[in-house]
Amino acid sequence: MFVDNNQHISKNISFVLLKVTKMNLFGISINHKNSPLELRENIHLTRNEIVEFIPRLKGSLFSEGVIISTCNRTEIFGFPQNPGFDTASLINHITEYKPVKGIKHEQLSKYFSCSAVRHLLTVASGIDSMIIGDSQILGQVKEAFEISEDMDFAGAVLKRVFDTAIVVGKRAINETSIGEGAVSVSYAAVQVVEKIFSSLEKKSALVIGAGETGELAAINLRDKGIGRIALSNRTFERAEILSAKVHGEIIPFQNLKEHLYNFDIIISATSAGNFLISYDELKEELKKRRGSPVVIMDIAVPRDIDPQVKNLENVFYHDMDSLQIIVDQNLQKRKDQIPLVEKVVIEEMVEFFKWYNALDVVPTIKTMRSFFEEIRNDELEKIKNKIHEEDFAKIEDMTRRMIGRLLHNPTRNLKKIAETGASMNDVITNTIILKELFNLDNVPSNGNINFDNGNGNAEEKKE
Amino acid sequence: MLQAITTLNILLPLLYLLAFSVYLFDFFNEKKLMSNSKRIVLFITLIFHTFYLISRMIEYNHPPITNKFEIFSIIAFSIGFSYFILELMTDIRATGAFIIFFSLVFQTVSSIFIENTYIVPEVLRNRMLGLHVVNALLGYSGITISAVYGLLFMLLYKNLRSNKFGLIFNRLPSLEILEKLSFYSAVIGFVLLTLAITIGIIWLPLAFPNFSYLDLKLVGTLFVWLIYGLGIAGKLFGNLHGKKVILFSLIGFIVAICSLIITNTLAKTFHSFY
Repeated sequence: MFVDNNQHISKNISFVLLKVTKMNLFGISINHKNSPLELRENIHLTRNEIVEFIPRLKGSLFSEGVIISTCNRTEIFGFPQNPGFDTASLINHITEYKPVKGIKHEQLSKYFSCSAVRHLLTVASGIDSMIIGDSQILGQVKEAFEISEDMDFAGAVLKRVFDTAIVVGKRAINETSIGEGAVSVSYAAVQVVEKIFSSLEKKSALVIGAGETGELAAINLRDKGIGRIALSNRTFERAEILSAKVHGEIIPFQNLKEHLYNFDIIISATSAGNFLISYDELKEELKKRRGSPVVIMDIAVPRDIDPQVKNLENVFYHDMDSLQIIVDQNLQKRKDQIPLVEKVVIEEMVEFFKWYNALDVVPTIKTMRSFFEEIRNDELEKIKNKIHEEDFAKIEDMTRRMIGRLLHNPTRNLKKIAETGASMNDVITNTIILKELFNLDNVPSNGNINFDNGNGNAEEKKE
Repeated sequence: MLQAITTLNILLPLLYLLAFSVYLFDFFNEKKLMSNSKRIVLFITLIFHTFYLISRMIEYNHPPITNKFEIFSIIAFSIGFSYFILELMTDIRATGAFIIFFSLVFQTVSSIFIENTYIVPEVLRNRMLGLHVVNALLGYSGITISAVYGLLFMLLYKNLRSNKFGLIFNRLPSLEILEKLSFYSAVIGFVLLTLAITIGIIWLPLAFPNFSYLDLKLVGTLFVWLIYGLGIAGKLFGNLHGKKVILFSLIGFIVAICSLIITNTLAKTFHSFY
C-alpha cells in the first residue's frame, strides 16, 4: 500500500512538473553584442523571408514560435516540439534556408525558460538595443508576433509572453525617460534649433548637401513641421531626389551664397574639402537679415562653414563637436535609466509568472469544487423523497453554504500561493497534496465520481 | 479679523516659500506629478493672499497702500498673480521659481515689518491715489517679470553660444519664447505705468499744493517709462531683435530699482507718505 502510494505521488509529481516545465520557451539571439555587422546583415530576414521560413520550423522544431529580425538583431523564440531539441538543428535550418558563412554555434546567445522570457522583455524595452532606448524595436517585436499569429504559429502562452513584452516596452517609454533626448547628430541639431525658435512652422531652413546626414537632417526638420525647406547640392539630381522626399525647393549650388540671408536655419553636411562659406561672405549676407537670428549647423567633416561666424551677433553656430556633446549627454541619461527599466522588466515578469503558475492551479481548484458539489448533490438526492419539500430546501441551502465555507480557505490559499509568485515547489506540493487527499485525478469528466459512502467503502454513483 | 490677519501674516511667507520650493524642485527634477501640483500650491497661496489683503482693507478701513510694507505685500501678490496668469496662458511652467522668488522676498520683508495702521493721513484713503498706486505697482510687477525673463534669455543665449547644454538648456523654453514673455510683460508693465503716470499728473497737483513736475520720483519714473517705451517702439517699428530688446528690459529694470531706492531713501519729495 505504501509503495503504491509512493508510486502514485511520484507519478503526480511528474505530471505537475511536466506542466511547470511546459514553460520551455527557447530563444536564440544574434545581435550587435555577439556578432559582427557582416553576419548580422547576412542573417537578417525580411518579412517575406520570415513568412517563408516559419513553415520550416513549424512542426519539425517548434510547436510555436516567433522570429524577430531587424538590421541589428535576429532572434528566434519558440517552444520545442521534442524534448531532445538542440540548437545545432536550428542553426542547420537557418543556414539551409539562408546560407550564411561564419556562423558559429557558440557565438549565439541562447536562452531557456525564465531567461528566454526575460531576454525578450529586455529586447522589447529597448535597453538591449545598440542605441539604448531605441523605440523602433517595440513595433518590430509586435509585428514579429503578428506574423506568427497570422500563420497559426502562436498559442496562448506565447501570446501572453509577447503581450507582456509589449507592456514592458510601453511602460519603459511612459514611465522612464529611456527614449528621450536626441541620440544622433542630425536630431541633436534639430533639438538645438528648437531651443532657439519656439515653432518651426514659420521658419525656413536650407540644407546644403544631399548625402545621408543631410537627408536625415532634412527629414527631421520636415517631421518637426518646418515652414519652408530648401536643398542645395553640387549634384543637382541628388538634390532633386531629396527635395521630392521632403517637399522642398532646390537652390542651385552655384547661387547658394546669395540666398543665405533668406533662411533662419542653415544646415551644411557636404563632403567638400574646404570652407564653402567664409566669415566675410556670411557677415555680408546676414546684414540683410537686420539682426534676425540665424542658426547654423555645420555637421560636415571637414567643416563647410568658417567657425569664426560664431562671433557674429545673433548667429548660433554649432558643429559636429558641439552637437556630439548633446548626443553623449543624452546617451548617458538613457544609460542612467536602465535600472528603472530593469525594474519594469522584473515587475512584468512577476505578473507573467503569476498568470503562468495559476494555469495549473485553476483546473485543480475547479475539479476540487465540482468534486464536493457532486458529493453534496448525491447526498441530497438520497434524502430528497424522505423529507418535506420545505425542509429539503433548507438543507440544500445549508449544505451549499457549508461547502462554500469549507472550500473558501483552500481555494483562496492555493490561488494566493500561485499568484504571489512563490516558489514553484510550494505550488507543486500543495497541488499534489490536494489531488492526493481527494483523489482528484480519478474524477471522471462526466461527473460519475467514485466516492466513499462514509463507511470506508467506495461505491458507484447511481444515476 | 485681527487674529486672521496675524495668522495669514505668518502663513503667507511660508506658503510662498513652499510654492517657490516646489517650483525649484520641479525645475531641477522635472516630475510629472509636480508639474500640476506646483500650480495648485501657487493658486492656494494667491487665494490666501487675496483674503489677507481684503481682511486688512476691512479691518483698517483703508486700501493696503499706506506704508512700505503693505506696498511690499501688494507687490508680492501682483508678481505672483501676474505669473500665474502668464503660466495659464502660455503653459510654460519651468520658469516659476525665478519669478516667485521675488514674491517670497517681498512678502517675507512685509510680514516681518508690517504694523497695524488704523490711523493714516486722509490723502491715503483717496480712491484716485489707490488707483494710481495699484497701476504703478502692477506696472512695476510687469517690468520685474520682464526683467526675470530677460535674465533667463541672456542665460540661455550665453549657454547656446558657448555650447553648454546643461540644466539651463534642458529646462528653459526656447529663446524666442523667453523673448516674447519678456516683451509682453514689458508691454503690460509699460501700459500700466503709463496709466499710473497719467493719473498722477492729473490728480497729484490737485491733492498736493507743493507738487512739482521736477519731483525726483516723477522724473525717475518718467525715465524708466521712456526706456521701456524706446525698447517697445524699437521692437515694433525698428526691427530690434533678441538680445537688444532684452537689454532695454534689463536696463529699464535696473534704472527702476535705482530710482526707487534713491527716491525712497535719499531724496525728500512730496511723494513720501510714510
